Amino acid sequence: MSLGFTIVKRLAHMVFVMFGISVLVFLIFFATPGADPAARIAGRNASPQTVALIRKEFGLDKPLPVQYLRMMDRLVIRRDLTSYVNLGEKVVPTIFRAAPVTLSLVFGAAVIWIVFSILVGVLAAAFKDRTLDRLLMILSLIGISIPVFWLGEVVNLVSQGLLHNTWLFSWVPPLGYVPLHRDPALWFKSLVLPWFTLALAFIGIYGRVLRANIVEAMQEDYIRLARAKGLPEAQVLIRHALRCSMIAIFTLFGLDFGALVGGGALLTEVVFGLPGVGYLTYQALTNLDLPMIMATVTYASFFVVSANAMVDILYSVFDPRVRND
Amino acid sequence: MTEATATDPAVPLLAVDNLRVSFRTARGTVRAVDGVSFRLGHREILGIVGESGSGKSVSLMAMMGLINDPNAVIEGSIKFQGRELIGLGAREMRRLRGGRIAMIFQDPMTALTPVYTVGRQIVEQLRLHTDLSTGAARNRAVELLEAVGIPGPKDVIDRYPHQLSGGMRQRVVIAMALSCNPALMLADEPTTALDVTVQAAILDLVRKLRKDFGSSVILVTHNMGVVAEIADKVAVMYAGRIVEHADTPTMFRTPWHPYTWGLLDSIPPISGARPRRLSSIQGAPPSLQRLPPGCSFAPRCQYRSRRCAVKPPMIGEPDHRVACVLEPGERREIVRKPAQQNDEIPS
Amino acid sequence: MNMLTGATGRVLLEARSVSKRFNVGSRIVPALRKTVHAVDGVSLQVVRGETLGIVGESGCGKSTLGRCLVRLHEVSEGEIIFEGRDITRLSRRALRPIRRKIQMVFQDPAASLNPRHRVRDVVAEPLIIHEFGTHSEIDARVVELLRVVGLSADHLERFPHEFSGGQRQRIGIARAIALEPDLVIADEPVSALDVSVQAQVVNLFQDLQERLGLTYIFIAHDLSVIRQVANRVAVMYLGSVVETGLTEAVFDHPAHPYTQALISAVPVPDPDRAHRGRRILLKGDVPNPAAPPSGCRFHPRCSYAQATCRDVRPALTRIGPHREVACHFPLV
Ligand SMILES: Nc1ncnc2c1ncn2[C@@H]1O[C@H](COP(=O)(O)OP(=O)(O)OP(=O)(O)O)[C@@H](O)[C@H]1O
Ligand SMILES: Nc1ncnc2c1ncn2[C@@H]1O[C@H](COP(=O)(O)OP(=O)(O)OP(=O)(O)O)[C@@H](O)[C@H]1O
Ligand code: SF4
Ligand code: SF4
Ligand SMILES: [Mg+2]
Ligand SMILES: [Mg+2]
Repeated sequence: MSLGFTIVKRLAHMVFVMFGISVLVFLIFFATPGADPAARIAGRNASPQTVALIRKEFGLDKPLPVQYLRMMDRLVIRRDLTSYVNLGEKVVPTIFRAAPVTLSLVFGAAVIWIVFSILVGVLAAAFKDRTLDRLLMILSLIGISIPVFWLGEVVNLVSQGLLHNTWLFSWVPPLGYVPLHRDPALWFKSLVLPWFTLALAFIGIYGRVLRANIVEAMQEDYIRLARAKGLPEAQVLIRHALRCSMIAIFTLFGLDFGALVGGGALLTEVVFGLPGVGYLTYQALTNLDLPMIMATVTYASFFVVSANAMVDILYSVFDPRVRND
Repeated sequence: MTEATATDPAVPLLAVDNLRVSFRTARGTVRAVDGVSFRLGHREILGIVGESGSGKSVSLMAMMGLINDPNAVIEGSIKFQGRELIGLGAREMRRLRGGRIAMIFQDPMTALTPVYTVGRQIVEQLRLHTDLSTGAARNRAVELLEAVGIPGPKDVIDRYPHQLSGGMRQRVVIAMALSCNPALMLADEPTTALDVTVQAAILDLVRKLRKDFGSSVILVTHNMGVVAEIADKVAVMYAGRIVEHADTPTMFRTPWHPYTWGLLDSIPPISGARPRRLSSIQGAPPSLQRLPPGCSFAPRCQYRSRRCAVKPPMIGEPDHRVACVLEPGERREIVRKPAQQNDEIPS
Repeated sequence: MNMLTGATGRVLLEARSVSKRFNVGSRIVPALRKTVHAVDGVSLQVVRGETLGIVGESGCGKSTLGRCLVRLHEVSEGEIIFEGRDITRLSRRALRPIRRKIQMVFQDPAASLNPRHRVRDVVAEPLIIHEFGTHSEIDARVVELLRVVGLSADHLERFPHEFSGGQRQRIGIARAIALEPDLVIADEPVSALDVSVQAQVVNLFQDLQERLGLTYIFIAHDLSVIRQVANRVAVMYLGSVVETGLTEAVFDHPAHPYTQALISAVPVPDPDRAHRGRRILLKGDVPNPAAPPSGCRFHPRCSYAQATCRDVRPALTRIGPHREVACHFPLV
């Protein structure tokens, strides 16, 4: 199987899954018995005229497949679906505005958590059963158990309040997002703390998983051969054990990354006032803004699914064993 | 790397004295190697045969300094070119490993790192012990693969281990071990996974290694034919000890130890009538946690007597030593008699 | 050796022109891609109750063929008929009852045992999967199986890495025979064993065959072992069968030049019998399965080769009862 074929196959698979998700979401909102979708789209306290208007606009008197196609047309092709809660707001462009915020947040955090978890995993494995190992494992356990929301609040309290006027945190800009193209330095500064906050739990999880994988890999026969070659222990660990252990981490990463970009970073976004997709979803849910929910869910599924596809493709590059047959 | 080291012929290349390796486990101490001593001369090929689980691999591993199990206790002395290896610093040991002393491991299927091409793995070793550039090391790797009889070495060098057959992987490992022309090669069943024609070619390669570079070889094998063909001397191991040690013709002609008799009897004949059943040794090897106090072969030995209740010391002549109390007159005369019909596998 | 083969006996497993190709080389640049014909049009029959030995050069596709027969590899071409039924394209689910009847003992004992499972679990696994019985029945069966392969109940709680190579192989055999299958495909099951244990295991294979009527496909490099266990042998070279026949006949009078070379290279456990003169040295290199030679695959190395051999590939032809050879100029 060639790489090209793998990619095409994955893409086809992806389209299929996304279609399934969109149908599912559509059915949940538009075909739940006993609820009038028009009233729901209109939001609370809408006038009967608005509801009638919506019924016509969305073709709610037509059969379900037609409704679905119309919805998709407005969501994906014409992209003019509007919110009735925030009157006149076009939902798709809103999401496109929010996406860079989420992407900035998640990408940065991902870089941090990968780098640090490799560091933690390798050091812990190298010092297996010694003090450094135990210390790192306890720290990562703490990292995993701290709720991100709480951590974010504390970070804000310290960096924006208590210690804001000391040299330590005086560089921290006020909460909110600054686009990269407007001021790269400020973009960076405003994201540093959110990045670490979001990354912490992942560093803990990945560090522990990686340590376990490396320790297991170190028992393998090929490690013995690597040692028999006369390789220094550090190289044995990094070139042979770590490289083979990364494969498992990779799968995990794809799933987590997709989920975060698709809105899983909601809490971090809310705490740090970052107007990302998670934030948007949060608002849409509190306002019961149906078009917006439809749009964010579709967007989220797109990211989860494409991150998975990406991982599968990269996986076959990383692990030669899955390439043929 | 290619020049032979200046060596003092009076000092054996390798002198192992009372080597003991035990593993502490939850169920007691496993004595995997229990007092092994031997000398290996320059340009000598020593064959080690013996029961599976008798500590052959563990002994070799100890010589390579590769026993990493934190529960292992290693005692005794291993002198390589007069230099004590037990307790040698990690850095010096590393310099010897893969360079002066090379090892071929028993299990070819899992010996190579799955995520790198075999070429990359050979180059890695060459670069470690020589000043070759990556390009030159790669060319040398192709030569080595060719030397061990791999077809299409230029292709194979870019393959991953899982894309090669067991025999091809084993030859890759052998190529790696040969790459730095070691003074001592420890080969743990190097030809087990190979067909007989390739096996013959590998044995030729081992002979060539000795001829061209004056290397010595310790060859662990289960194949008596291979031993007969290539080894100068043979050591027979049983339950962690060498029970008999002799030069090859002597070992095949006049073996002294009852276990050796049993081994030689078990070989399936390659010509003549096929026995209905193969003869084999009664019983199972002892548990290494509960070795019998005297001769460890006693529970399975037809010749045991009261004398065997104390550990028999190594006796005999300088080039034929045995750990058995049988007097010369009590030893069996002819060994290779046709296989008899005894068997002990319960069914 | 309790039975004759060939036209007598019922055919248990049949391979019809089975081929298996692997793609190797670059995945991105098609020009660098190559196809390895690991198994190339193999047709074989295995009769119930017999032992078919498979020998051949390392890398000639013996393991791959074995794995195809148990459907661990999907074949590229050809059919596999088990008990008269084509199982080549059966779904996983439909295959399940058949998996139970065909077991495999692997070449490599270490990698086929999960390092985190205790011996007890390893041997019990097939029993549990195929719902052999209650907990205590399974436990008793595991102990019995260990005893049969020469291990003891002492070993139950140990992990594979605590065993020597030979002991691990016996665990693999215990697992394979746990469900008393019809067919066992043993891929070098005794090559890790010392000769005395090897003799025990060979005897064990024969006992089990007599007792349970098992059928074996026995892959091994050690020709003296093959000679002992097999009724019939198939010799493979570069993915194809080049000779089949009853064991004695093939060993005493090899018909294919490659078989002759193979048998001549067997090391003799007797330092007095000079070996050098006896051995037929194969000239030339072992061929590259990604670019096999034309005509007879063996011709670049064959000392009997003539002009036709370079152009025309000899088909496997019957030259006597139970005897087939793929050579234009067979030696018998
Ligand atoms: N890490 C370990 N912990 C406990 N026991 C061990 C360990 N490694 C090896 N052993 C035991 O030491 C003994 C010797 O093992 P070794 O691998 O040297 O046998 P061997 O002679 O090479 O056998 P084979 O011919 O089957 O390869 C075995 O009984 C084995 O169970
Ligand atoms: N997954 C794979 N991808 C690519 N090539 C493969 C793969 N598995 C096997 N091969 C190739 O197929 C050929 C046959 O391999 P196979 O393992 O069947 O040989 P074998 O006869 O069992 O050899 P041995 O006696 O050394 O075990 C070899 O050339 C090997 O390189
Ligand atoms: S010492 Fe005794 S028990 Fe041991 S091998 Fe000799 S005769 Fe047998
Ligand atoms: S066909 Fe020709 S080349 Fe092939 S084995 Fe026979 S004689 Fe040799
Ligand atoms: Mg061993
Ligand atoms: Mg094989």
